[in-house]
Amino acid sequence: MALKQVSSNKCFEGFQKVFEHDSTELKCKMKFGIYLPPKAETGKCPVLYWLSGLTCTEQNFITKAGFQQAAAEHGLIVVAPDTSPRGCNIVGEDESWDFGTGAGFYVDATEDPWKTNYRMYSYIKDELPKLINANFPTDPERMSIFGHSMGGHGALILALKNPGKYKSVSAFAPICNPIQCQWGKKALGGYLGPDTSKWEAYDATQLVKSHSGSHLDILIDQGKDDQFLSAGQLLPDNFIAACIERKIPVVFRLQQASCFCSPCYFFIASFINDHIKHHAKYLNA
Amino acid sequence: FYHMDLYGSKERFDIFPEELSGRGDRSLGDTRRKSALSSEKVQRPQEVGYDLEKEVAELAKMYGLDEDREKELELLEGHLEKVGSRWPPARREKAGSQGSMYNSSKSSSSVKDPGQSTKRQGLPDEASQGENQSKARADDEAESNIWSRGGLSSGGMSDEWNSQAVSEEEEEEEEEEEEAADVFCSTCKIPIRAFDKLFGEHKDHEVAQLLSAVESEKEEIHKNMCKLEEQIAQMENVASHLEEIFITVEENFGRQEQNFEVHYNDAVQVLAQKYEEQLEALGEEKKQKLEALYEQLVNCGKHLDTCKELTDETQELFLENDKAEFMKVKSFNYRYLQYYGTSNYSLFLSPYNYRLEEFLKKEVDLELSTLPDFEERVIDVSEVEQLMNSINAIPAPCAPVINPQAPNAATGTSLRVCWGLFSDDTVECYQLCYKPVSNEGHSDEQAEHTLKVKETYCTITDLVPNTQYEFWVSALNASGISPPSERAVYVTAPSPPTIKSKKIRSCENAALVCWESRDINPVDSYTVELSKLTDEENDDIITESIVGIPNCEVLIHLQPTQKYRICVRAQNLGGCSERSEPVLIHTTGTYFYLNEDTAHPLLAILDDGFTISCDELENPECDLPVYDNSFTRCIAILGSLIPFPGKHYWEVEVEEDTEYRTGVAFENTPRHGHLGANNSSWCMRHIITPSRHKYEFLHSGMTPDIRITIPPRRIGILLDYENCRLSFFNADIAQHLHTFKTHFQHYVHPCFALETPGILRIHTGITAPPWTAL
Repeated sequence: MALKQVSSNKCFEGFQKVFEHDSTELKCKMKFGIYLPPKAETGKCPVLYWLSGLTCTEQNFITKAGFQQAAAEHGLIVVAPDTSPRGCNIVGEDESWDFGTGAGFYVDATEDPWKTNYRMYSYIKDELPKLINANFPTDPERMSIFGHSMGGHGALILALKNPGKYKSVSAFAPICNPIQCQWGKKALGGYLGPDTSKWEAYDATQLVKSHSGSHLDILIDQGKDDQFLSAGQLLPDNFIAACIERKIPVVFRLQQASCFCSPCYFFIASFINDHIKHHAKYLNA
Repeated sequence: FYHMDLYGSKERFDIFPEELSGRGDRSLGDTRRKSALSSEKVQRPQEVGYDLEKEVAELAKMYGLDEDREKELELLEGHLEKVGSRWPPARREKAGSQGSMYNSSKSSSSVKDPGQSTKRQGLPDEASQGENQSKARADDEAESNIWSRGGLSSGGMSDEWNSQAVSEEEEEEEEEEEEAADVFCSTCKIPIRAFDKLFGEHKDHEVAQLLSAVESEKEEIHKNMCKLEEQIAQMENVASHLEEIFITVEENFGRQEQNFEVHYNDAVQVLAQKYEEQLEALGEEKKQKLEALYEQLVNCGKHLDTCKELTDETQELFLENDKAEFMKVKSFNYRYLQYYGTSNYSLFLSPYNYRLEEFLKKEVDLELSTLPDFEERVIDVSEVEQLMNSINAIPAPCAPVINPQAPNAATGTSLRVCWGLFSDDTVECYQLCYKPVSNEGHSDEQAEHTLKVKETYCTITDLVPNTQYEFWVSALNASGISPPSERAVYVTAPSPPTIKSKKIRSCENAALVCWESRDINPVDSYTVELSKLTDEENDDIITESIVGIPNCEVLIHLQPTQKYRICVRAQNLGGCSERSEPVLIHTTGTYFYLNEDTAHPLLAILDDGFTISCDELENPECDLPVYDNSFTRCIAILGSLIPFPGKHYWEVEVEEDTEYRTGVAFENTPRHGHLGANNSSWCMRHIITPSRHKYEFLHSGMTPDIRITIPPRRIGILLDYENCRLSFFNADIAQHLHTFKTHFQHYVHPCFALETPGILRIHTGITAPPWTAL
């Protein structure tokens, strides 16, 4: 589990670094960005995992979101992994932007040819935290997760499927009900096969319906004019309705913002501080 | 004479301090000390003493100083020195003890040849003796007389010190040769080497570190200095007091002189008047007597003339021998008698006129009509005597002087009035009058009270608090009553104020307390007293007082999570009122109260003061009273929050189906609008749509689009002026709902409104939970 530092930059009295390692889960070289707040030099810090959206690498978030100041302030280590295995030479992995490379969908694939490498769920859930906890001054007991779009979906399912593992969860424009939307149908069908009952295990709205875990405070920001919202890709209303029914506390905010494509972080940058605070509240409690 | 003396003595006082406090000043002190030393070092100390005394006495005579004066001066000295006896014995005594001390210290040092040190000592002594004497001559004698006495009075101490210093000096010299002394033998009062303590003669003595010994000595010296300074101050006091007395004596003399002059002049005038009166009466009597006598005399003369005439005629008749002629005479006589009807005719007796003669005889009256004696006159001096007596007796006293009001001489219902006499008049009692000062003229005649008092003070009770009273006083004795003093206005202390306990606002770091005066008249200021309550016993200790508060409200800075008891006192010139009823303040969170004046007519505040309810949205009668300050459209009410920066947290308990608005608003937020609809209010609104609970966070009519999955039952509101934010929470699950980020230009107040019938329960005094911190 050797780590190779790719880059390191001083940022808000802390360090924004990028490391590369050989992933056993994904069977390829994976990069991740990690922000070490100044507090990490003297003590253990909680870790906040960020899951990016479709087409993104570890770079988008660490270069565009502008989260470092808030993270430094609250003493949070922020880890931003890549969105899928890369360079696995699987036929068709680079064919479309919403499937394959850059679109791992945070599931463990069961279908060939994806099932060997495309195990992002396990990677995020187990391998990455182990790696981080082994190499950085972290408090393993305190971790939270958030993400954008596909990453928002990832964050929600990871939090819902692993009660107690994450102290808090939040999302920007998450894909809330993938089994009902085009992106989800394509990805879940591709990675998990045609049996839709298997898909439900990776559907936040479905997971909420059967959720009976510990207290989870969910913050969701959604752009009002998001074309994917109107295109029915995100379906937050289904998720909200399920949460109301199951009495899961959600604050869902419809924000005025213009551009919501994954590589564009204007929307995320606008509200990143609120999310960092939201997590810090639980991580530093 | 007195005056001069007082000033003179004051000058002398000035000399003493230098002398007494300047014990370290050797150049000055030594000559005097040495002279004292020498006077007994030299074999015939008494002679020298006598010589000095004689000299002084002689010079004193030369300067016309008699015994009386000397005694007076001594008296002054006696005060200063507190040494009752005359100086020579005291001096000798001191000299003796000093000598022995000197010897003992010598023997204790006992290393050097004693003869040598004596010699050393002796030389300057002789020189200084001469110097002293010449100096004594040169100086003003009266002064030097005192001066040398004064010097001696301190001699006791300084001599001792001197001898010690001498021995120390010797010690030091001696130590230089061997080894420096490092400890101090308390028994022998000398510094020794530690070695000596262990093995030397100081073995059993108590020793101290040299440094600490020096320190303690210095301390001692300092103490003495202080004592002397005190005495100086005391003397200065006495001097100024004497000056005052001097002036008073002058004044009294003047008054008495005037008194005598007036009375004696009166007496002399009365006497002169009496004399005049008597003389006049006497002269009048004399005049009357003389007039009467004169008249009688004139009559006598007339008679005499007539008689002579008649005699002549009669003789002529006698010579007439003619009968006829005789008869004529007879008729003449007759005619004559007709003419002189009432005169004395005895001389005209003739045989012819016998019947006439008889008649005339009856008429003769030789009695003196006036007596030569004057009637006896009593010289009445009783009035004068009375006057004289009145001079000798006590005069009626002068008007007393009433003192202005002393601080803290008043309570709410009582005043202590003091006055005095400038003169030493004999006074049997005083008549003290007072009445309340009223600004309106009409009630002038109201209650004027008069008291007879033996003392020069009186405490009057049963007065009205915080009221001005006018006092004047007259002195009485057997001779009469003095004119009244000037009128002095005293004022009673105010009543204790009443803290408006329901109007107390507080937060973790401050409290705003207001109160009302129970008096009609305004008071000068208020004092707030704080006691921080701890679990320990001494709860009543006032930990802080805030004085000089001009109005009935104060913002007090406090420490968080403490308990305080707060009282208020009112203050005026007369003094401080009693404490008000205390109030307790807990600085565990923010407390505010609901401002009923702002409440919409349909909004009711329940008895606990923090539950508001609305039973119906429309009032069929439509005649509910609307106050100027109350909300007219929105069924709302404002709280009164403490105007203090920092954080304030409170919670609102709501029913799930109640529609409400709650948040904060400026005090002047429009009463006719809806909360959140303008730019002077920020609030969370809950409404129920057919599909869901809808939550809005309104400011200027705008809200973010926020959906909340769990309807809050208990809304936490955090107002954070410092971080410019107003946050709303679902307090039950610590869920952050929304934050307004705004820099509040003014202080805001909590606001609450009901949009459907229901109730809102407001909880104050809650410490902001940690999850509100971010």
